[in-house]
Amino acid sequence: MIKKILIANRGEIAIRIMRSCREMNIKSVAVFSEADRSSRHVLYADEAYPIGPAASQESYLNIPKIIEVALKCGADAIHPGYGFLSENAEFARKVRESGIIFIGPAPESMEAMGDKISARKQMIKAGVPVVPGIERQIDSPEEAIRICKEIGFPVILKASMGGGGKGMRLIREESEAAEAFLAARSEALSSFGSEIVYVEKYIEKSHHIEFQILGDNYGNIIHLCERECSIQRRNQKMVEESPSPFITPALRDEMGKKAVAAAKAVNYVNAGTIEFLVDNEYNFYFLEMNTRLQVEHPITEEVLGVDLVKEQIRVANGERLHLRQEDIVQRGHAIECRICAEDTENNFMPSPGIIRQLAEPTGIGVRIDSYAYEGYEIPVYYDPMIGKLIVWATSRKLAIERMKRVLHEYKITGIKTNISYLRHLLDTPDFEQGTYDTKFIETNADFLIKGVSINKEKSENIALIAAYIDYLMNLDENKPSQAADNRPISRWKEFGMQKGVLRI
Amino acid sequence: MEIHIGNRVAEVELKSKEGNKVLLTIDGKEFEVDIMIVENGYCSILHEGKSYNAELIRAENGRSYKVSTYFSSYPVEIVDTQAKYLRMRRKDENKPDNKIIAPMPGKVVKVLVKEGDNLLAGDTVVVIEAMKMQSNYKVNSDCCVKEVLVKEGDTVTNDQVLIMLEINKTEE
Repeated sequence: MIKKILIANRGEIAIRIMRSCREMNIKSVAVFSEADRSSRHVLYADEAYPIGPAASQESYLNIPKIIEVALKCGADAIHPGYGFLSENAEFARKVRESGIIFIGPAPESMEAMGDKISARKQMIKAGVPVVPGIERQIDSPEEAIRICKEIGFPVILKASMGGGGKGMRLIREESEAAEAFLAARSEALSSFGSEIVYVEKYIEKSHHIEFQILGDNYGNIIHLCERECSIQRRNQKMVEESPSPFITPALRDEMGKKAVAAAKAVNYVNAGTIEFLVDNEYNFYFLEMNTRLQVEHPITEEVLGVDLVKEQIRVANGERLHLRQEDIVQRGHAIECRICAEDTENNFMPSPGIIRQLAEPTGIGVRIDSYAYEGYEIPVYYDPMIGKLIVWATSRKLAIERMKRVLHEYKITGIKTNISYLRHLLDTPDFEQGTYDTKFIETNADFLIKGVSINKEKSENIALIAAYIDYLMNLDENKPSQAADNRPISRWKEFGMQKGVLRI
Repeated sequence: MEIHIGNRVAEVELKSKEGNKVLLTIDGKEFEVDIMIVENGYCSILHEGKSYNAELIRAENGRSYKVSTYFSSYPVEIVDTQAKYLRMRRKDENKPDNKIIAPMPGKVVKVLVKEGDNLLAGDTVVVIEAMKMQSNYKVNSDCCVKEVLVKEGDTVTNDQVLIMLEINKTEE
């Protein structure tokens, strides 16, 4: 029986997992790097232990240290979250060997699927269609150029151990191949600890649709329908929704069956995701399997009313699946936006820094999975994603309206975020009509670059008035004699009580 | 008083004030607003029955602000007498120096040049990694490397100068 879980992760996902632990009356243990002492997952957990320096290689990827902490604090299980060690079979194996439950699939299925080269081999054997490409690694820039030419441009370079869009490079012509190969390899090494990259044909017009699956230790596997993840920039997902506005009920059924077959081929246990590419003619290809919880898992939870983390923990506990395939019915519509600390006007440059003001949206149908708080400094060492905004409504149209409202409410200052960009993205006709594919960002580049249309003069004037009055309020002569009053609007009230024109 | 917002220069003047009701002019146009600011910078402005919100971040000097209103964020600079004086004094010292500046905090992954190197426009000089993304910094004109101020593995902060350059003069 699992009574205490160590979460080998940070950020919003660590908190997401701890929340389910708390509801299940399970103790949660946080681990943190030197850069994360003030991070919210440390504050939220029941116990927290330092595991090393800021660089992930020495902390969140430090297998012996994490297992040592788990043993010392008496954790029954380790949840790896996503990213970091979540798809590292060596980690899963060492956790198992030290007598701790790994909340996720067996290391053997991870090796078969997590390594994308071996996954392609498995799927071909199981009769699941795959994208044309190679089933071995590339060793040199020269080889990269040769293989790319063989497959025919455009191609996409991928880290075999990768995921989440990191370590991927699209190559359109020969001249780009060598630099892309070296960059992808170095990014793969720093993000995943392995520099093996391979190449696949790049399908220009496609939909990225993935199926959530769930399996127990007794050979039962079900799928939990799809998530539409076609809105991506540089293979990094931005907005996801469920159900997909593109696929038909018949196709959903067929893809779901193939997803289950793919998972069965590797004796998959626990939660996982089968990613498919679907072209405009409704042909679908296996892309990869993510042997972990996905960033975008909340939209499935909202549409199905299932807590995936709890399901993961129950399966890890040795329970049988209590959901049957026929119980799985999609209700309403959910959309997720990834909120990132980045400067959308400056080529999406990461923008770490201190969060000065934070107003998170609330109200009907809103869920925020985030680790931000006022005064928190977002460290430079990790992912720029600071949280996820999820809405649910009874229909797609209502969900879009709700997401617009919610983005309007969300205010973060001190760092640059993509909130305004996302708000504008939702106005794109392709998104409103649900007629988009993975080319969405490129196709709508002209529209997206314009930004939210505002009355520039009016909003400038508001900014001018606000700054000017604040300046006056803070002039020495207006400072109250006693500065010790900590009531938030005290000084303002005092200023408000002064009569007449100020001497400036 | 002169206030800069982005590239715009506005003339703002306070006419009268009663409690939270403020009458002021922006470039001669009158605005009568009801304004409320709480200590941590949240600001509410009521103007002609409409409700506006702004978030203020005040810099140490008390004159520079970052103001966010409805999906936009503006740098605002209050130019009071002291600021005017400082600006005049600074003018002489501030030659348009040519340097590579880190636009964000991060880690130097690679330094590809050394002092005295001659570079062509578009050459990459340094690679910085932040939040798992690597960015290449290139020079935008032909130049010579005057001084390299960072080394591989260094952590750099926002606006830190990384490399000083000497721009090649075109023959006149």
